[in-house]
Amino acid sequence: MTSTSRRAIVALALAATLGLAGCAPAAQGDGAEPTPTAGGTLTYGRLASANDLDLHTQITANNAFAIDKIFESLVSFDEHGKIIDWLAKNHEISADGLTYTFTLRDGLKYSDGTDVKAADVKFSLDRNLAKEGPLALTAPISEIATDDAAGTVVITLSEAYTPFLSELTSFSAGVVPKDFGGKTEEAFFKAPVGTGPFAIGEWDPAGDLNLVKNEHYWQDGKPLLDGLDYVFVADDNQLLQRLNAGQIDAIEQVPAANAESVEKGDATQLLKSDSWAIEQIFFNTQKPEFADVHVRRAVAQALDLPGITQATTFGTARAASSLIPPAIEYSAADAFDAEPVLSHDVDAAKQELAKSAFKDGFEATMLIPSGNSARAQIAQVVQESLAKIGIDVQIESIDLASFRERFKAFDYDFMINSGQSDAPDPNGLVTFQADPEGFSNSFWTHYTNPEVTKLMHAGRTTADGPEREQIYTDIQRILASDVPYIPVYYSPNLHGTTAKVHGLESLPNGSVRFQDAWVEAK
Amino acid sequence: MSAAPGSLTRAALGAALRVAGTVLPVMLGVVTAVFFLLRLVPGDPAVMILGDRATPQALAELRAELGLDAPLWRQYVDFVGGVLTRGDTGDSLVTGVPTAELVLSRAPVSLGIVALALVLVLAIAVPLALAAANRPGGWADQLVRIVPTITLGMPLFWIGLLLIIVFAVNLGWFPVGGVGSPGSAPLEPLRSLVLPALAVALGMAPPLIRSLRAQLLEVIEAEFVTTLRAARIPEHQIRWRHVLRGAALPTLNLLSVNLAYLIGGTLVVEKVFGINGLGTLLFQSISSRDFPVVQAVALYCAILVVLVTLAARVLSALIDPRLRGAR
Repeated sequence: MTSTSRRAIVALALAATLGLAGCAPAAQGDGAEPTPTAGGTLTYGRLASANDLDLHTQITANNAFAIDKIFESLVSFDEHGKIIDWLAKNHEISADGLTYTFTLRDGLKYSDGTDVKAADVKFSLDRNLAKEGPLALTAPISEIATDDAAGTVVITLSEAYTPFLSELTSFSAGVVPKDFGGKTEEAFFKAPVGTGPFAIGEWDPAGDLNLVKNEHYWQDGKPLLDGLDYVFVADDNQLLQRLNAGQIDAIEQVPAANAESVEKGDATQLLKSDSWAIEQIFFNTQKPEFADVHVRRAVAQALDLPGITQATTFGTARAASSLIPPAIEYSAADAFDAEPVLSHDVDAAKQELAKSAFKDGFEATMLIPSGNSARAQIAQVVQESLAKIGIDVQIESIDLASFRERFKAFDYDFMINSGQSDAPDPNGLVTFQADPEGFSNSFWTHYTNPEVTKLMHAGRTTADGPEREQIYTDIQRILASDVPYIPVYYSPNLHGTTAKVHGLESLPNGSVRFQDAWVEAK
Repeated sequence: MSAAPGSLTRAALGAALRVAGTVLPVMLGVVTAVFFLLRLVPGDPAVMILGDRATPQALAELRAELGLDAPLWRQYVDFVGGVLTRGDTGDSLVTGVPTAELVLSRAPVSLGIVALALVLVLAIAVPLALAAANRPGGWADQLVRIVPTITLGMPLFWIGLLLIIVFAVNLGWFPVGGVGSPGSAPLEPLRSLVLPALAVALGMAPPLIRSLRAQLLEVIEAEFVTTLRAARIPEHQIRWRHVLRGAALPTLNLLSVNLAYLIGGTLVVEKVFGINGLGTLLFQSISSRDFPVVQAVALYCAILVVLVTLAARVLSALIDPRLRGAR
C-alpha cells in the first residue's frame, strides 16, 4: 500500500471515528435507555491476573484495578479527572495550604459490616508512608490527627503542597481497618476488607478473581451487580473473540486496530475515554548524539506526529503536542496545537541537525518492547522519517522484562515507552519525567534543566489558579523545545462491552467503575 | 498370544527400569539447564512485580525478600536441594503460591487437551491412512497426500484461530475459549477442550497419516498377508486385525516421539484459546521472570514426557513379542 492511500484510509477511519465519537456518551443506549435492573454477574475479561491486593505496595494495572474495587480513599476523581469527595463528605483546606480537614460520611461501613473510624484513616495513611511503595504519598505530612466522635481527619503539612489532594485520590490512599481488624497483614490481604463496592469472593492469584457485592456499600442501592468476575484471558485476540461471541460481558482493553469493529458491531459497543497516558519517544541524553539538543529538535521536526498517530492508532488517539495530556489540569495541548512549539518540517529538521555536532548524520538504535504492534509501527515510521535527514535507525525489539532492564540501566539510544500519570495533578507526571533528582532520572533520559527543576518546585507549592497554570505551561514549553522526549499521542482508554451492558464508567487512569453497571437479562 | 505371562511382566519391568534409569539424569539436566538459561536472560522479577515507579530501595527490599540477592550458586543449591530432599519446587515469586500447587491446579486442563488430542489424532489418522492405503494412488490417497501438506505449513496458533472463527464465532458449536465458568453445565469444560485438542491433533496428524499409510502398504505386501489371503480369510478381517496391528508399532513409536510436540502444542494452543493451563502459566511466568514457576513447569513436563515415553515402550513391548527381553 502506498503511503498516500494508507493515509487516505486512515483519514477516512479517523473521520468515521470522530463522527461517532460525537455521540459516544449516548452510544450506551441508542435512544430508549432500558431501565436498570439490579442483580446478576458481569464478567470482565482482562489480560493479566490480580496477583496481589496490598494497596500500599502495588501499582501495576492488573492489581490496581482490582484493589480500587475493594478499597476507597477520602477523595476520588470522576471520568474527567475532576477531584470529588468520596469517603469524606467534605474537605476544607486552610488558607495557608497547610491544614486539610476531612469529615467522613455518616454510617460508613466495611464490607464485613464493621464501622469505619477516623483512626482507620490515620492507620492507613501511616502505613502508606511507612511502606514507601510506588504510589506512596510524597506530600510533606507532619501530623495526622483524628477525632472519631466527630469523624474528622486533620492532616497538617510542614509546607504547602498543592498536589496533596490529588495524591489522596489514589487507590493507595485507600482506607483499611486499623490493625487490619486484628488479622495479620498477610492474612488480611488474602481476604481484604474495605469500603469499596465489591469484596473478595473466590480468588486465584494466577487466574480469575471473583468479586461479590458489598452489602454495606455507602452509595445507596449500589452496586447494582451481585457479582463481578475478573476473567483472566492471556491473549488479546481471544479476549476480543469472546466479547464478540457474547461469552464475556466486557473487556478491559480493545486493541486500537479493532476499535472500529467493536464500535460498529451489532452486539458490541466501544467505551472510549481520555486517559492520563502518553505514548512517547524517549532519548538517552547520556548518548553524545542525543545529548545534543539540536539533534533532538531535528528528530522532533522530522516526525509527522499526526500522521503517525492516525496510522498506528487507527484514529482512536489524539496526536500530542505537550507532555501533559488534555485529561489533566493545565495541559497546554490545546494551546500548542494552535501554535506548535516545534512542528513537522523536514527542511527545518535538516537545518537543525546542521547546527549540531553530527551534521552528517549518525547511527542509532531504537529500543522497543516486543509484542506491541503499535510501537513496532511507530518505530518503522521513525526509521523511515529519520533516514530523510541522515539518521540511520536500527530497531531492536526485545521482551518487556529485558526492555525494562535495559532502559533502567541507561543501556539504550532512544526508545518508545509510555508515561502515565496516576493522579489528576500535573505535578506527578512532571516530577517523574523531568526531575533529575528523582530515582527515575527524568524517566531514564538523564535530562537535566535547572529552569524546569525550579519551576517544578514552584508548581508544588503554588496554590491552584492562573499562576500555577502559567508555571506548568512554561514547563511544557521548555520540554517541548528541549525535547528530552517526544510525546507522540495521548492514548485513549478503549474498553469493549456487549450491547447488553450498561452504566460502566471509564476513568482516566484506565480503571472502570462498576457501581452503576448492570447487564440486561441474557 | 503365546508368550508366557512371566516374560511379559519381565519385559515391561525391564523397559520400565531402562527408562527409569534415564529419568533422574534427565530431570537434573532439565532443572539445571532451565535454571541457568533463565538467569542468563535479562529481566528483574522485582521490577516486573513492582513496576517502573518502584524506588530502588523498594526493589532492593523485594529482592532480598524473594532471596534474589543470594549468589547464584546458593540459589541453585537451594532449589535442587529442595527438589531432591522434599520434592519442593519452591513458591511463586509473584503470587507466593507454592509452585507445585500452581502446577497441579493447571495440569488437569492441559492433560485433558493432551488426552483428547491423542484420541482425536488417532480418530483422524487411522481411518484416513487405511483409506489411503486401501487403494494407493486413488482419490483418497491423493487427498491424504495433498491436504496434510497444506495444514503442515500452518502454524498451530493459526489453525487455532481458524477453528475459533469457524466453529465458535460463526457456528457457535463450541465456546470461543476458556474452560467454562463456575456456574456452567458439567460437560461445558469438556466441550471447551474440543477445539484446542482438535487444533493440536490437526497439527500432529499429517506425519502420522503418512507413516501409518507407508507402514500399511508395507505390511500388505508382506508374506503373511499373502498366506492369509490364500487361507481365504476375509479381506476386511485381514486389514483390521492383522495389517493394522503390524503397522501399529512404528506408528506408536512415532507417536511417542511426537509427544514433545503434543505437549508443546498444547502449551501454545492454550494461549490462543485463553485457557489457563500449564502453557499459560509458563508463558506468564517467563514474561514476569517468575523463576520458580518456570522451573517447576519444566520439571513436571519433563517428568510427564519421560513417563509417557515409558508407557509407550511398555505398550510396544506388549504388542511386539520381538521387543520382549531385548537389550
